[in-house]
Amino acid sequence: MLEVVGLSAGYLGEPVIDDINVAVGTGEAVAIVGSNGAGKTTLFRSIAGLLPSMHGRVVLDGKDLTRRPAHRRSRAGIAYVPAERHLFPAMTLKSNLALGAYPGRPDRETLELVYDLFPRLHERQRQQAATLSGGEQQMLAVARALMAKPRLLMLDEPTTGLAPKIAQVAFEAFAELKKQGMTLLIAEQQVPLALSVADRAYVLENGRIRLEGASEELERNPEVRRAYLGVA
Amino acid sequence: MRAVVLDGIVLGLAFGLLGVGMTLVYGLGGVINLAYGQIVVLAAIVASLLMEDDVATTLAALVGVLAAVGVAVLLDLTLMRPVYRQHGEERILLGLLLTLGAAFVIGGLLTWRYPLGALYINISGEPVSILGVPMAVGSIWASVISLAVGAVLLLFFGLTTFGRGVRSVIQDETGARLVGINPSFVRTVVFALSGALAGIVAITQSMNGPLTVNAGFELTTFALIVTVVGGLGSVAGAFLAGVLLGIVNAVSAHYIGQYITSIILLGAAALTLLIRPRGLLGR
Repeated sequence: MLEVVGLSAGYLGEPVIDDINVAVGTGEAVAIVGSNGAGKTTLFRSIAGLLPSMHGRVVLDGKDLTRRPAHRRSRAGIAYVPAERHLFPAMTLKSNLALGAYPGRPDRETLELVYDLFPRLHERQRQQAATLSGGEQQMLAVARALMAKPRLLMLDEPTTGLAPKIAQVAFEAFAELKKQGMTLLIAEQQVPLALSVADRAYVLENGRIRLEGASEELERNPEVRRAYLGVA
Repeated sequence: MRAVVLDGIVLGLAFGLLGVGMTLVYGLGGVINLAYGQIVVLAAIVASLLMEDDVATTLAALVGVLAAVGVAVLLDLTLMRPVYRQHGEERILLGLLLTLGAAFVIGGLLTWRYPLGALYINISGEPVSILGVPMAVGSIWASVISLAVGAVLLLFFGLTTFGRGVRSVIQDETGARLVGINPSFVRTVVFALSGALAGIVAITQSMNGPLTVNAGFELTTFALIVTVVGGLGSVAGAFLAGVLLGIVNAVSAHYIGQYITSIILLGAAALTLLIRPRGLLGR
C-alpha cells in the first residue's frame, strides 16, 4: 500500500536520511526502530509531506504523492501522529476530533469507534486539549488522526513522555486497531513494545536502513538483542 | 455622559470590526497589516466616486467593499508570498516593511489623485431616542450593520467547519496541515475577509460623518491597538476591546481632548501588554 523508494531528506541541503526503501502492505503493522537521532522523525515528516524530499518517491495505493503538500497527503489517506502531537490547545477535545474529519463533518460511526478505543476521551469531550494529561493528549492525537478514516496511520514515538503503564495501554490500543484492519507504521525507541505489535520491522541507523525482517526474526537477531533489547 | 458613552459604542463597534480584520491576519500568518487603514480609505474613495456619478448608494457601497476585498486578495497573492516563506522574526519584519510600503503607495496614490476625497453617506431622518439620548439615524444604521456583521463572524468562526479550520491554523499550523487544511488557502480567504471588513467599516464610519482620504494611518493605529488589547486571533476579544476602547475614546475626547485621546488609547495598549500580554480573550 505504501511504498517509499530511495527516499532522501534532510535540512539545509544535508541529508539526514538517505536512500530509504520501506514498504507497508494493507493491514500490516510495520515498525521503524532505531536510537534517538537515527532519522525516524525525518523519515516520517518526509512521508507525511511536512519536509520536502531531496530524492526518491512516496507512493500510496499506486499514487505518487512525492510532489504533494502535507494537507493533500492527509486527504489522500496518510494520517501522521507526530511525537509532539500538534493538537489545537485552546479547543475542546470534541472540536479537535471534529477537525480530524476536515473538510467533512465527523461521522457518528467513526466517533463511536474512536470512543470505544479510548473511553477516557469520551468522559473528557468538553475539556480543552491543553488541560489533558500527556497520555490523554496522545490518545486524542491518535483519535484525531483516525477521524479522517485514513488508509495508513503513522505513529511517531507514541510513548514519548508516557509512564510505562500508559505506554503499555497505548500499545494495546494499537494492537486492537491492527485487529480491526488498520495499516500501521510505527517509529519507536522502545523496541520490545514496537515489536510486540509489528509484523515486520526496519532498523534505522544513521539515516540508513541497517536491517529488516519479520519481528520474531529480529527479536532473535544477536545484534538487535545487544543494541536494542538490552540483552547481553 | 450617557450620550458620550453611546457615541463611544457606535465608534467601538467599527473599531471591533477593524480589530477582527487585523487580528485574524496576524494570527494566521504573523503579518501586521500596516496598510489596513489605507484599504478602508480605498473602499471609501471608490464608493464616493461612484456616488458622485449618481450610482445608487447601496450599489456604490457594495462596489467599495468589493474593491477592498480585491486589493486585500491582491496583496496576499503578490506582496505577502515572500513574507510567508520566512519564519519567526524575519517574517514579522518583512511583513511590516512590505505592508508599510503598500500603505504609502495606496495612500499616496489616493491623496494625489483625490486630495479632497471623502465619503459621507448622509442618512436623513429624525433622531431616534435610545435610552433617552437622541441618536442620529446614520449612527443607528452603522451600529446595526456592525452588530449584524459581528454576529455573522462569531457564528462563522464558532459553528462552521471552515471557521474551525481557520482557528486551527492560528493555534497550530502543523496540526492543521496534518488534518488536511491548506494554510495558504485559509490565509487568502481570511485576507479577503479582512478586506471586506475594511470596506464595511468605511461604509459605517461614513454614516457618522465624512471619512476623508487621509484617515488611513489613524485607522491602522486603532486596529492595531484593538488587536493588542483584544488578544491575538480572538474574534470575540477584538469586539470586546473595540467597544471598550471606543467608549474610552469618546469619553476622553469629550472630557479631555482629542489629541490626548490617542495617547490614552496607546496607553491602554501598553498597559494591556504589561498586565495581560495575551490580551482580554487571547489564549
